[in-house]
Amino acid sequence: MVRVADKVAAGMLRGDEQAAMPGGIAALAGVLPRTTWRRARTTGVGAVLPACVLLFLFFAVPVLALLLRSVLEPRPGLQNYAALLASTTYLRVFSNTFVVAGLVTVVTVTLGLPLAWFLVVAPRFWSRLVFGIVILSMWTNLLARTYAWMVLLQSTGLINRTLIALGLIRAPLPLIYNLVGVTIGMTYIMLPFMVIPLQSTIASLDHATFQAASLCGATRWQSFRRVFLPLILPGLAAGGLMVFVMSLGYYITPALLGGTSNMMLAQLIAQLVQSLLNWGLAAAAAFVLLAITLTLYAAQVRLLGVGRMTT
Amino acid sequence: MKFGIGLAALLAASWVGGVTARAESMVFTSWGGTTQQAQKKDWADPFTKKTGIKVIQDGPTNYGKFKAMVESGNVSWDVVDVEYDFAVRAAKDGLLTKLTLPASVMKSIDPRFLTPYATGSFYYAFVLAYKKGTWGAYAPRTLADLFNTKKFPGKRAFYKWSAPGVLEAALLADGVPPGKLYPLDLNRAFRKLDSIKSNIVWWGSGAQSQQLLASGEAPIGLVWNGRVDALQKSGAPVAMSWDGNLTTGDMLVVPKGAPHVAAAMKFIAYATSAKAQAAFAADSGYAPINTGAEALMAKHALPALPDHHARSHVDLNMQYWANHRTEIANRWYAWQTK
Repeated sequence: MVRVADKVAAGMLRGDEQAAMPGGIAALAGVLPRTTWRRARTTGVGAVLPACVLLFLFFAVPVLALLLRSVLEPRPGLQNYAALLASTTYLRVFSNTFVVAGLVTVVTVTLGLPLAWFLVVAPRFWSRLVFGIVILSMWTNLLARTYAWMVLLQSTGLINRTLIALGLIRAPLPLIYNLVGVTIGMTYIMLPFMVIPLQSTIASLDHATFQAASLCGATRWQSFRRVFLPLILPGLAAGGLMVFVMSLGYYITPALLGGTSNMMLAQLIAQLVQSLLNWGLAAAAAFVLLAITLTLYAAQVRLLGVGRMTT
Repeated sequence: MKFGIGLAALLAASWVGGVTARAESMVFTSWGGTTQQAQKKDWADPFTKKTGIKVIQDGPTNYGKFKAMVESGNVSWDVVDVEYDFAVRAAKDGLLTKLTLPASVMKSIDPRFLTPYATGSFYYAFVLAYKKGTWGAYAPRTLADLFNTKKFPGKRAFYKWSAPGVLEAALLADGVPPGKLYPLDLNRAFRKLDSIKSNIVWWGSGAQSQQLLASGEAPIGLVWNGRVDALQKSGAPVAMSWDGNLTTGDMLVVPKGAPHVAAAMKFIAYATSAKAQAAFAADSGYAPINTGAEALMAKHALPALPDHHARSHVDLNMQYWANHRTEIANRWYAWQTK
């Protein structure tokens, strides 16, 4: 089932891309002989060279230097990794990190899917307005947004005071300095990263598919579960992975809205680097996280295919 | 057209900036907020007036950055305000420049706050602070009250990071006599903290502690006395109790490889002078580390200073902390994340 749907999606996407291509270029593509295209492909290497050099100098080299620190400081050996895996504190922080990132991803998907759907099907005015709000929130300073959540969520904050004034609750709800606060704050920040890939996937769907489904006697639920979901799976997976991976390394929001009992790895690394000056251990922690993230990414590529992740 | 004028103005401004930067200058790094504002007003500005050396403010102090600068040999800080235990450890790790101060300056500094690599910056205390009127006619007085959630319900604000202060407060509240505080009985301290753990809100910066107290989010807490002083001066209904206040000093250090060592030494000599210390103490509520400073201060400003509550205070042992910081930190984060 999934396979058939995937093929449909992939096929449609090609059609979509061609349709989106300016007429001139599409025509050129048809006219140019094959060899010219091959040459164009290799000359492209020159064009990406600056970006590659930049990434190498400012990403690969520092990351390798960090890896070296994790096995060289304070003395050569694997003692940092041993310390990391032997300590229940660090293991707990690791599990916190994955629990929070997972929770944020689930909530973001739950909220993002209907939102993306709305953006595609709503009348132009409404979809533009809502999309504008989503984008605008992304353009606002992260720290300012996080502080705004503090003002809203704290026990003397707007939400609790309103609920108390309305007589709905007696004592303030614990909305901040715990898992609830982190999840709310991070979901809000991650939502655009989910909605935007999902929206483009949904927009590329062919309505005829659903008409075909209902002609074949599918109920709305069946049509949703067996046609719609498989078709948007690549977008869902791309958005979900992006949100999950970004959440794993988040620092500011958990530091300000979370409590210490759900401390995430980035906070621990910051503490090791800034205050305890234990850079070897910090590097080891960063590397374990990187390795896990890459494994997850590889698994996703394996299961869903890399090409379709970009849709 | 407008853009062209703007661009010209920008170029002119950067040119002027380039010229003034050629005059002698140095960088002072501290913790930001009301404390650094006072340091700028009472130390840096008059120093610049007197010597012509421009002082550029940077911050907040970050030990990771400090270490990275010294290790890479690319140091941009000249004088840094650090915690005492860091000053001790950094000297041991070879991260600091030895101070060269005139004998007359060294003589006037309280010897508790003078080492070959660091001088005092100011003398401060962790005090019990609370929002007035939270518990009707009752007001907390002792560290034991800080741990008494029956009599004084509400969230408690404590310093988030593993550092001197909170553990000592827990032990004193549990009845350990001040003379027997060190070595710290960590098991006992964490047991005491366990009893109020669900009521703790952690503050990571002085500004956050002020916000928590003033808003009533955490109506009681253990915070730096100068931050309460600043709140009171701004008219916020907060008060503090000096009972069992925990004192120590911040230190001024010069990183190894600092680009303007001569200017840095001059700045430290000025900042620790009686006059500069007296002015800073009056503005910040932190006590001077210069023994001649209080004679220059107005009488009414003195009771706000930690050294005027010597009878009720407990000195934090920074040598002990410098030697045990990692071991305590491991326990601290294990407990916090539990």
